[in-house]
Amino acid sequence: MKYMIMMFGDAASMQETVSKEWIEEMIGFMVQLDKDLEASGELVFQQGLADASTAMTVSLQDGLPVATDGPFAETKESLIGFWVVDVESEARIVELAGQIAKYAGRVEVRQAMDAPPDL
Amino acid sequence: MTLEPAVEDLLRTAAPQALGVLVRRYGQFDACEDAVQEALLAAAQQWPVDGVPDSPRSWLVTVASRRFVDEVRSAEARRRREETVAALDLVEPGEVEQSDDTLTLLFLCCHPALPLPAQLALTLRAVGGLTTAEIAAAFLVPEATMAQRISRAKQKLKAGGARFGPPAPEERAERLRTVLHVLYLIFNEGYTASSGSRTQRADLTAEAIRLTRLLYRLAPGDGEVAGLLALMLLTDARREARTTADGVPVPLAEQDRSRWDADQIADGVALLTSVLGGGAVGPYQLQAAIAAVHDEAPSADATDWPQILALYEVLEKVAPGPVVTLSRAVAVAMVHGPRAGLALVGTLDDDDRMTQTHRLDAVRGHLLELAGDLSGAREAYLRAARRTASVPEQRYLALRAAGLPG
Repeated sequence: MKYMIMMFGDAASMQETVSKEWIEEMIGFMVQLDKDLEASGELVFQQGLADASTAMTVSLQDGLPVATDGPFAETKESLIGFWVVDVESEARIVELAGQIAKYAGRVEVRQAMDAPPDL
Repeated sequence: MTLEPAVEDLLRTAAPQALGVLVRRYGQFDACEDAVQEALLAAAQQWPVDGVPDSPRSWLVTVASRRFVDEVRSAEARRRREETVAALDLVEPGEVEQSDDTLTLLFLCCHPALPLPAQLALTLRAVGGLTTAEIAAAFLVPEATMAQRISRAKQKLKAGGARFGPPAPEERAERLRTVLHVLYLIFNEGYTASSGSRTQRADLTAEAIRLTRLLYRLAPGDGEVAGLLALMLLTDARREARTTADGVPVPLAEQDRSRWDADQIADGVALLTSVLGGGAVGPYQLQAAIAAVHDEAPSADATDWPQILALYEVLEKVAPGPVVTLSRAVAVAMVHGPRAGLALVGTLDDDDRMTQTHRLDAVRGHLLELAGDLSGAREAYLRAARRTASVPEQRYLALRAAGLPG
């Protein structure tokens, strides 16, 4: 079963409230988690995302793509990283998300659809 | 498929030489490049089984020529088949000036008609012998995108009528500058990966050094070629000490200098010494000289900052730019105090070229910390942390900020 684990939060404001030791522990956890998932064969893809304040929004204006800044700085909780994993059970995905939740504001898990639904 | 490293090295050296021979013989860079790629594939399959031939280059030239001629034959089969084949000069060349061919190939790949990303990709593939998949991985783009970029570049060279041959004498210096710039960018992408989770891509730095060494052998008289090679060696010598086990960057002042590569530093210094003072001093020689002063200091405290500042002042005259100014600000701070450095950093606030980088705030944080303004430093580090797309840099900046009182 493939799942996407999404980590929400705001890296900079998170960092404002934590200690150096906490960040060191978090870095160690992230590095180890990526290694473990790779070793177990469960990792499909993982990526951290640059801060939302550096994002741009693209929309069509008169049929032409126009890029603007945003989402805007007041967006406190945005997607900051994700893993796509292929795991045996729902229990495993809850376990993984739980480990990440210790370091994230909010973790959301969505199963990836691998076939169109039966109609 | 995994190849013995020795076979892989051999292929990397022989491939551009073979390509050079083919292009000089037949023209048509794109078709020749395809033929050499096919010959490389054949070599990768046959050599591990049958053993490496006595002359790998001749083997590649022969196989690639055969592929090329086959291709021309089938393409032209409908018309003028015999004429075309007869017109091709199929005589085996004597011992050719292969080194000049590789240099010409470099000039061709770094053709000013091509956009910069295409110059980088084509150089790595045609001269570096990297596969499309390897280049795609190095620049973090899908393989299909990179394949398209390379194929467009080849078409553009063809359409523009780019001819295989050394550039005209009056163009040579300018074209050599372009080649150096492309090699410099390949090195930098490897040394400071601009995004993603790895700080360094050693494969790219190694390739850039190998190609620049090759260029140095081909154009030994050029001070800037030697300067660029020295700069790469002196910078790469610190690689082991630049990151922690978790991949977090370690600033120069805090690096364990015993982990620097002393042999590589000696090579770089010797190379630089051999060209300094031998004519106009260019930006690569100056940057190499700055790297050498850092590398030769026994400790961070013993760094000869006045000399580094003097070198940055010359560099700013020769090659002005906001990044040079920012580096000079650090040297000013070390010689005249952090407030003097901060004043210089402030002059860059309205520079549009700095809006896309987190480095301005990273340096400001460092200088504010030196000046004792800890909460100001913390804010600057956090601002910088928000703006970088590099995970290791973000972690480093967050750690600096977290070590300071709010």
